[in-house]
Amino acid sequence: MIRYELKKVFVKPGSRIALLLLALLLGVVCFFAMDVGYVNEQGKQETGIHAMRKLREVKKEWEGELTEDVLASVIAENARINGLPGYWGEEGFATDMGYGWKQGIYDICRMLSTAFGAFREYDYRRVDSLSPKDAGQFYERRILQLKEWLFGEANEQFSEGEKAFLIGRFEELETPLFYDYLYGWDQLFEYAPTVIMITVLILGFLAAGIFSGEFQLKADAIFFSSRHGRGKASRAKLWAGLIMVTVIYWGMVLLYSAIVLGCMGTDGAGCAIQMTGRGWKSFYNITIWQEYLLILFGGYLGAIFILLLVMLVSAKARSAVLAVTIPFFLLFLPNFLTMVPVSLIGRICGLLPDQLLQMNMAVCYYNLYQIGGKVIGAVPILLVAYLALTVLLGPVIYQVYRKAEAG
Amino acid sequence: MELKIESLSKDFKEVRAVDRVSCRMENGVYGLLGVNGAGKTTLMRMLCTLLTPTEGKITYHGKDIFAMGEEYRKVLGYLPQEFGYYPDFTVKDYLLYIASIKGINRAVAQKKVTMLLQKVGLSKQQNRKMKKLSGGMKRRAGIAQAMLNDPEILILDEPTAGLDPSERIRFRNLISELARERLVILSTHIVSDVEYIANQILLMKDGALLRFGTLQEIIGEVEEKVWSADIPISKAQDYMRRYKVVSARTGQGMAHMRILSDKAPYPGAVEEELTLEDVFLHYFGETAGEEDDQV
Repeated sequence: MIRYELKKVFVKPGSRIALLLLALLLGVVCFFAMDVGYVNEQGKQETGIHAMRKLREVKKEWEGELTEDVLASVIAENARINGLPGYWGEEGFATDMGYGWKQGIYDICRMLSTAFGAFREYDYRRVDSLSPKDAGQFYERRILQLKEWLFGEANEQFSEGEKAFLIGRFEELETPLFYDYLYGWDQLFEYAPTVIMITVLILGFLAAGIFSGEFQLKADAIFFSSRHGRGKASRAKLWAGLIMVTVIYWGMVLLYSAIVLGCMGTDGAGCAIQMTGRGWKSFYNITIWQEYLLILFGGYLGAIFILLLVMLVSAKARSAVLAVTIPFFLLFLPNFLTMVPVSLIGRICGLLPDQLLQMNMAVCYYNLYQIGGKVIGAVPILLVAYLALTVLLGPVIYQVYRKAEAG
Repeated sequence: MELKIESLSKDFKEVRAVDRVSCRMENGVYGLLGVNGAGKTTLMRMLCTLLTPTEGKITYHGKDIFAMGEEYRKVLGYLPQEFGYYPDFTVKDYLLYIASIKGINRAVAQKKVTMLLQKVGLSKQQNRKMKKLSGGMKRRAGIAQAMLNDPEILILDEPTAGLDPSERIRFRNLISELARERLVILSTHIVSDVEYIANQILLMKDGALLRFGTLQEIIGEVEEKVWSADIPISKAQDYMRRYKVVSARTGQGMAHMRILSDKAPYPGAVEEELTLEDVFLHYFGETAGEEDDQV
């Protein structure tokens, strides 16, 4: 039965076109994700796998713990390069060649600029004004920045408990951080939400007809008057939907991961996410590998939840058109809601299912909630709450569909 | 084998589609006859557990069919009036899928499908997509799916509607063949279909069961007589207005009419034997054949 339910979906020309589109979009996203260049000694940009390997090579020279000595060396190296003839261009900007000289220390310089700037500002040239003796304050600066922001600009935004929670999390980060080339992961994470959202939208299109199809084709009378129509056959539809979501979702994200990491390298999986540009201010003290798992499994949970909602609307409203709008509604509505400057709406948005599809961003947001006096971040709430809702949705869809009047 | 309908009613908001219908059916062909909107389809949908009755109950061997659930549906075959199918499935795949939701194991289903395709004359079209079949072929695929589980109760809603005369005859013969050893309920507003196939006839009007019996019993209950007469064409319109005219054929200044009337409607009119078509006109009068909503 499940096989035929899947066949009903994929035998339609529209579904085949949707799958082709999905493959095409994956190709486009991979192209952008791997659009990384290496600037050679002559200041010329090189692209392609060869360039990625060169970039990896120069960054790998700095692999290791970011101790005070290492940071001081980076600051010194940065100053040395700044003093080289040919580094500065005409309008006070680095020349392409000069940029090329700094590629190996670029990530660490970026972190230094972030750490020694204001909490919500980034001046990429801040590192140029540092001296090697500043290196000792690097990790303290991260905590200090947060405190300044929490008790200044964001004073009204968080409760005392929440402030203490954030500071505690920042202090818990194990230092020194370990640096490694992690461009592969960085680029993978950058475009992962795009891949996941595109997959969910296409899956929504495919899943929308699973339940409503019987009514639209007027095949419901035969379906429900058959022996298993209100039992196994209805369950088979649900299973077909879940199998379809699972296979296509994992197929897409694993293929995407394999292409990007295969070309750009898997180095840096054990580094803290604070090592990335996005993750510096995150209060989730996890590694890149853990973030990857969070992105994949969070995305899967989100995809399953949204697609089950699609199937519920499809079963209840008997309309594929209405059902297919659900993913769009869930994915794009939060973008409009966040424009409303009301704190409560912001907090609600932090718990909407779209967050599951962009876990790389969710781990960077300061969405905090108090449950029984305990402060907790949005990520664990999202995982637990949507897992529970997803488990509940299956039986609800089954009951709604099997009790439908037909004919 | 006994299927019993007890005081069955179905309301759709303010409209009563089926009104306190009661009857008892055993093996044989039961022709459900009525104009469009008489409640035939609603009654059949309730018999197929697709709609729940507002009042009354349906029992199979004394057990409520809705409480029986899949045990009842196991012995049921249904061809709805609007036969929905999966357009991109081949005929064979379609039948194999229906076999699977009927709980027939795959090996048995393969044999059964081959046999039924042969029986309904679709063997050559088994790999053709459903959407590519002609109307008659689709109906034959429809009857094949209904027969897959070798049902004890076969419910056919307007199975010959929209078919050309040769397809209709073929279909009628097929139904007669399938009717052995089972209860077939056949709904139609095509009188001749019922006349040819049905052992028992149920006449429905405005949701209620008007008459129930054999063809002879139904005819015997009509007090009106049927007459044939040649009437001048100039008077034909007047007769059409005053009497229930079953048929009228014109030629050479005269109209040969078949008229329902207690007395001879015209001097020289000859009394004929009543047919089911006459009975149909007797009960349904001028509303016969009106295109009402499907209830």
